[in-house]
Amino acid sequence: MANGADLRTLVSELHNALNRKQFDAANDLLSRAKRTLLLQNALIPTSSTSPELIALAREVLELGALSSIRQTDAPSFTRYYQQLQPFYDLERDSANAGKVDFKTSQRSKITGLYLLLLLSMGDSTSFHTVLEGLVEEASLKGKSIEDDPCIKYPVELERNLMEGSYDKVWRETKSERVPSEDFGLFSNVLVGTIRSEIADCSEKAYPSLPISNAKNLLFLESEGAVIEFAQQRGWVLRDGRIYFPVEPEAAARSEKDILVASTAIIENAIGYARELETIV
Amino acid sequence: MGEDTAGAPTSSFNASKDRKGDEKMTVVVPPTKGSRLSGDKGQDQEGDVAMEGAEGDETQKPEPEVDPRAKAIQDIKTNFTLLERAVAHFDPRFTLRVLRSISSMRKHITSDVLAEVLVESYPPSSPTASFLLEAIGETGAFESAVASSKMDVESEKTRSNSKEILPEIDTYLSILVQIFLYDNKEIQRGAKFSTSLIERLRTINRRTLDSLAARVYFYYSLFFEQITPLPPSPAATVTMIRQPLLAALRTAVLRKDVDTQATVMTLLLRNYLSTSHISQADLLISHNRFPQSASNNQIARYLYYLGRIRAIQLQYTDAHGHLIGATRKSPSSHSARGFYQSSHKLLVVVELLMGDIPDRAIFRQPALERAMHPYFLLVQAVSVGDLDGFLSIVNTHSTTFRKDGTYTLILRLRQNVIKTGIRMMSLSYSRISLRDICLRLGLDSEESAEYIVAKAIRDGVIEATLDHERGFMKSKEVGDIYATREPGEAFHERIRACLSLHDESVKAMRFPMNQHRLELKSAQEARERERELAKEIQDGDMDDEDAGADFDAI
Repeated sequence: MANGADLRTLVSELHNALNRKQFDAANDLLSRAKRTLLLQNALIPTSSTSPELIALAREVLELGALSSIRQTDAPSFTRYYQQLQPFYDLERDSANAGKVDFKTSQRSKITGLYLLLLLSMGDSTSFHTVLEGLVEEASLKGKSIEDDPCIKYPVELERNLMEGSYDKVWRETKSERVPSEDFGLFSNVLVGTIRSEIADCSEKAYPSLPISNAKNLLFLESEGAVIEFAQQRGWVLRDGRIYFPVEPEAAARSEKDILVASTAIIENAIGYARELETIV
Repeated sequence: MGEDTAGAPTSSFNASKDRKGDEKMTVVVPPTKGSRLSGDKGQDQEGDVAMEGAEGDETQKPEPEVDPRAKAIQDIKTNFTLLERAVAHFDPRFTLRVLRSISSMRKHITSDVLAEVLVESYPPSSPTASFLLEAIGETGAFESAVASSKMDVESEKTRSNSKEILPEIDTYLSILVQIFLYDNKEIQRGAKFSTSLIERLRTINRRTLDSLAARVYFYYSLFFEQITPLPPSPAATVTMIRQPLLAALRTAVLRKDVDTQATVMTLLLRNYLSTSHISQADLLISHNRFPQSASNNQIARYLYYLGRIRAIQLQYTDAHGHLIGATRKSPSSHSARGFYQSSHKLLVVVELLMGDIPDRAIFRQPALERAMHPYFLLVQAVSVGDLDGFLSIVNTHSTTFRKDGTYTLILRLRQNVIKTGIRMMSLSYSRISLRDICLRLGLDSEESAEYIVAKAIRDGVIEATLDHERGFMKSKEVGDIYATREPGEAFHERIRACLSLHDESVKAMRFPMNQHRLELKSAQEARERERELAKEIQDGDMDDEDAGADFDAI
């Protein structure tokens, strides 16, 4: 199988390119590899596809996914993730275990990265949808998803984010608990997310805050950064304290409220009258 | 019927219908013919056409019956007339009655009974008959029947040969065959039979067949669910029937076949969820509209699946609405208990996730008490904001929760427990240090506590402010809820529910055909009488008393 050999060389070149961070070369190699796969009808696994070809195709797609993550190209990563699904479905099926070699599969890593991507985009609906499937699968094997470090990481992050333990998120993204460098790519996005979350919360929770404390709260490097951040959000700085903008006048608002409420009530009452009319 | 009560939502519905049938059976038990007939006649009278009811009786009269076998055969044949009537009058109610009666005769269906019915009602050359006979493994039935009891069969055969056999009857018998195979655990054969049956069904386009076809699909999917590899594994056999089911859905929509559409949609959802392909299920919902006029049970099932999907997607308010619908629509009778329980379990978890505490009365219902016990403990832990207790309950009952498919949802509850705890503290203390909050909630650090409280304030869980320098939380005065718009909105909500209930019940009323003519006639008569009366009064030869009596009559 000449094409198989072709592919193999392509894959090893891809590995090299990725290791040396030559993304242009990698992209070029990827499109060539995908074309070869397409010619052999192996981009989607079928029952007639040979096991080696499946393993190769999966490897190409995985490398593609990693390369697009490193180039911070989220749409392309998502595309690779979707393309990988049929391969991973094969893997989940125990009947195929003997045939295709799964040892080289980076399934949990890719899935973990995808979860992290969803998390950083704030798409918790999809996050939980994916997670539900994983939990089901894990419990089928009598394991818990927390056994897999790559999956555990995003799951814990999400839990802490939802709970509001932002300091834990901060520590997780900084520490050596990040499973691999690819996961680290998301740290900045996540820190940005938690920072704006904290800012939102602080606006509501504190009447005012000393700048030095705000620095710690917001995980910023220096007080200068705090001032810059505060200006961005339109906070008032006075005497070394941050004053958060107060909600627009409560009195004026309540007056408007009453107006809105009374029209709504009148509408409702007329509606009831009409309905009653039809019934009687 | 053991499988039906096993607890899976789909199967339990079927059983809910059975219930009625079973009760009828127990009434019927005395073996005299008279009592049974009266039962059946009672049914017939429901269907307002008395004349044909008599015809139904006629077919039952000939032979005196003793054993359940003969009775089953008789029942099946009675149902033929019902089906014929359904086709003649284009009235799906007769068909539905036939389907309801299936459960009561389910116990008596044997290959013998089926073979006899087939031999008696079909000519030996009929391909349908041989197809059905092959499925139950009685290929030689025609020959043996002809050989043994020629005399008996003759009369019947001439009778049924005279008219064409309706596809409705074919389908009805096929359903019986499906049930027979299912009850006898002939899963593989049943699956094969159902597949070819569906092929046949797709070629026929008859509206009177809809409800029967829906049932065929139901058993079709039931068979495939039983074949290994079983659902949770992604390579499960159920995935194989998605294609045919989707095709069936498409056809049903094009033909405006509401019954099949509703059934197939719920089957597909069940299918997707069983292998946790949630995004596909979601897509299916977003691209399809569930028929409003579907039967109550299908709607309840659909709502349950919808609620489940929405809960996974964190849309708790939607999920709550759907699940409320599902639990209310679910038959609370004893045989549909599985569905009732699992929808309640999910509802309780979703309510907790929304930050509500479910009503204690739910857990006291006899149908739910035992099954819901772990959930009851869970509710207790959440309602007092006891994080340690919550975690230990989750650990001890994790297998139950996993089995119910609520485990991931329950894991999400952790933050709710914390929030409830914070709310309790905010209500009971006007000022509390972050350190105390941290200790009471069992959190890791004061820092975490500060962020968590800040988030709770932002999310509107509590009304409070934080003081970072001195490290405490200060609660605000709780406003008067009656000064807000809330009560008005709640009131509006309730009135709207009542009004829509009224509208629905008006819509659900049935008016017998041609009844208005009778009324018109009597109105006309009344008018005439009135006129006469008026004339007589004018003529002055009538007492006031008489006139008064007459008016009363009108």
